[in-house]
Amino acid sequence: MEEADRILIHSLRQAGTAVPPEVQTLRAFTTELVVEAVVRCLRVISPTVGSGLSHLLPPAMSARFRLAMSLAQACMDLGYPLELGYQNFLYPSEPDLRDLLLFLAERLPTDASEDADQPAGDSAIFLRAIGSQIREQLALPWVPPLLRTPKLQHLQGSALQQSLRCTRLVLPELSSKGEPREFQASALLLPAPTQVPQLVRRAASLLEQHAVQLCQHVSRDCPGDEDRVCWAHRVPSQEDSRAAQQRLHKQLAEHLRQSWSPLGASTQVRDLGDMLQAWGARKKTSTPKGSRFTHSEKFTFQLEPQAQVTQIPDVPVTSQKPEQDTRAAQEQELESLREQLASVNHSIEEVEADMKTLGINLMQVETECRQSELSVAEQEQALRLKSRAVELLPDGAANLAKLQLVVESSAQRVIHLASQWEKHRVPLLAEYRHLRKLQDCRELESSRRLAEIQELHQSVRAAAEEARRKEEVYKQLVSELETLPKDVSRLAYTQRILEIVGNIRKQKEEITKILSDTKELQKEINSLSGKLDRTFAVTDELVFKDAKKDDAVRKAYKYLAALHENCSQLIQTIEDTGTIMREIRDLEEQIETEMGKKTLSNLEKICEDYRALRQENASLLSRVREA
Amino acid sequence: MELSEYVQRGFQRLADPGSFDSNAFALLLRAAFQSLLDARADEAALDHPGLKHIDPVVLKHCHAAAATYILEAGKHRVDRSTLSTYLEDCKFDQDRIEIFCTEYQNNKNSLEILLGSIGRSLPHITDVSWRLEYQIKTNQLHKMYQPGYLVTLNVENSDSQSYPEISFSCNMEQLQDLVGKLKDASKSLERATQL
Repeated sequence: MEEADRILIHSLRQAGTAVPPEVQTLRAFTTELVVEAVVRCLRVISPTVGSGLSHLLPPAMSARFRLAMSLAQACMDLGYPLELGYQNFLYPSEPDLRDLLLFLAERLPTDASEDADQPAGDSAIFLRAIGSQIREQLALPWVPPLLRTPKLQHLQGSALQQSLRCTRLVLPELSSKGEPREFQASALLLPAPTQVPQLVRRAASLLEQHAVQLCQHVSRDCPGDEDRVCWAHRVPSQEDSRAAQQRLHKQLAEHLRQSWSPLGASTQVRDLGDMLQAWGARKKTSTPKGSRFTHSEKFTFQLEPQAQVTQIPDVPVTSQKPEQDTRAAQEQELESLREQLASVNHSIEEVEADMKTLGINLMQVETECRQSELSVAEQEQALRLKSRAVELLPDGAANLAKLQLVVESSAQRVIHLASQWEKHRVPLLAEYRHLRKLQDCRELESSRRLAEIQELHQSVRAAAEEARRKEEVYKQLVSELETLPKDVSRLAYTQRILEIVGNIRKQKEEITKILSDTKELQKEINSLSGKLDRTFAVTDELVFKDAKKDDAVRKAYKYLAALHENCSQLIQTIEDTGTIMREIRDLEEQIETEMGKKTLSNLEKICEDYRALRQENASLLSRVREA
Repeated sequence: MELSEYVQRGFQRLADPGSFDSNAFALLLRAAFQSLLDARADEAALDHPGLKHIDPVVLKHCHAAAATYILEAGKHRVDRSTLSTYLEDCKFDQDRIEIFCTEYQNNKNSLEILLGSIGRSLPHITDVSWRLEYQIKTNQLHKMYQPGYLVTLNVENSDSQSYPEISFSCNMEQLQDLVGKLKDASKSLERATQL
């Protein structure tokens, strides 16, 4: 009972009732506590109902009465099976109270489900880590500044802090060769961390150097972006480098197009105005551009255009003189160069046209040549045939016979060779087919095995994923388990529940055994009493028959009757004793329950309250009469 | 935690038992930690006789790589399992990982203090003293009759540039506002610890 009470009080406390710690059982609940507990539970279960009720017991008797009636009504609305009245709240009895509170506690929404629904996502883990750190730091007591350890100094605010200042470090490379390697190996180059004297600056410089190395690695694919390497944080991703590349392309194309605008040489079309602007704005940086152009692969032309390109950047570089002169001179030069270009382009076009026509001619001539060669070959063959025929013509008949023999023999030889070829062909064909079949089978096998291997790979990968995920979940759950409160030990409760269930089962068995024993006894008693009656009846008859004649038999009969009478009285008394004892037990139980109900004290309280109510009524009446 | 190629190359060389035997490895590691945390041992950082047989460029590269890695690990506050996972990926064998982890554990506090001392922080308030005044009149108003508070916050910090105390004056609403904000701040801190 106490355990159940404790669990009940615990759940009442969770619902918000301020149960004082010395109250351990329901026996010690006062009226105020009962009312508060019930109202808070109602508030949790159904906020609309509970918000209208106050959890404090009003001093006036009538208000108390009303509150108790409304509480009773609310509980019955929730579905409490038994009848409730104001007496259950104002004058509580322990068993009724226990039933009521258990009913309400069951209705409380379980908050265990809320904990289980907490997202185990990264942000939740992060927030929990933050919370635990803050808790740890809050738990540290304030230490006077001179007594603080360095860690406490950092936490409690008296640590010396310096801003981030870096120095450029010279780092040796494993893959360096020649002179740099000698320099790096010598004692002139200190180890990287020792190049900076102060510790804080050393750490800052190393971190900065590492960030720079990371940036360099990202931007190494983009040509011409080495100027931007000194960013302190990570270079933003591919898009920026691609944008920079595109910008560079644009500049190249514009430059090319500006130089060869009549030819339309560059395949990308750009706005001339943009080009000129870009060109004008970049006079100072053109020398490095020149070298980049010579290294770039975006050219579709060969060395000749490159020479022109390297010439043109010289033009603005030499313009250190007053600007107007140089601009006029430049424009003149530009004009002349443009004219030259135009003429050169023209001649190139003419030459190209000539080349085209000549090419066409060449092709025609070649085809004619081939055709004539073919016809020559045919005619040669016809000539040979006719010359042989002419030679053989003089010896006409004999030659004809010889020729026929020759023809026959050659026909025979052909047939013979064909049969030999057949002989060879058949087994070779069979072997070929056999080998083909083998190869097909093997291909099938190998493809099947490949598929199996891929499946295995997949399953291995999936299993590794699963394992990693489960390990993460496990780590999270372990950390959660450590933070869970340890006051309510479920294991003890479950063990006790299982024990109780076992005990109940044993008791049930015993009860059934006892019941069967009782039934047996009852059957025996019945049979014995039946036997007794029958024996007595028979004996009675027998003896009565002889009793009329004989005196001794009459005396024996009288004794028999008396014996039977007394024994039956004894049996009766025994039965009565048994029933009376049962009644005693029942009455004792009833007394106990009635004692538990504290009826006497409740009755006194009721009398007092009744008197108080009457007084209030009287005072109200008097006030009404006055007003 | 990403590492640059420089550091990765240095570490791969460090993991190679052909270049660094275990004694040399332990010495280099200790030298790296010392050079980061202890400014006195600078002159003879890599002059130990156990390291003389290794090519100086290799030695310096690996020393720099190890120091950078230690700082990055301290910056991200990695725990032992992440550390050993990363070292396994770099093909370190088990006892070298053990040595590294124990050295890191031993020096973790000082490393965190070193890294934590880079930066700036706001001054730390330790004490408050206040004075209530009653303003009767000013040059702009003939009758004021309003209370005001002069609050002085005693501040504790070791940055000698700023002042040792912060004083201000405010009227009652502003002071209530300030106190309300302080209460909000402490309540949100409580809430954060309960997550």
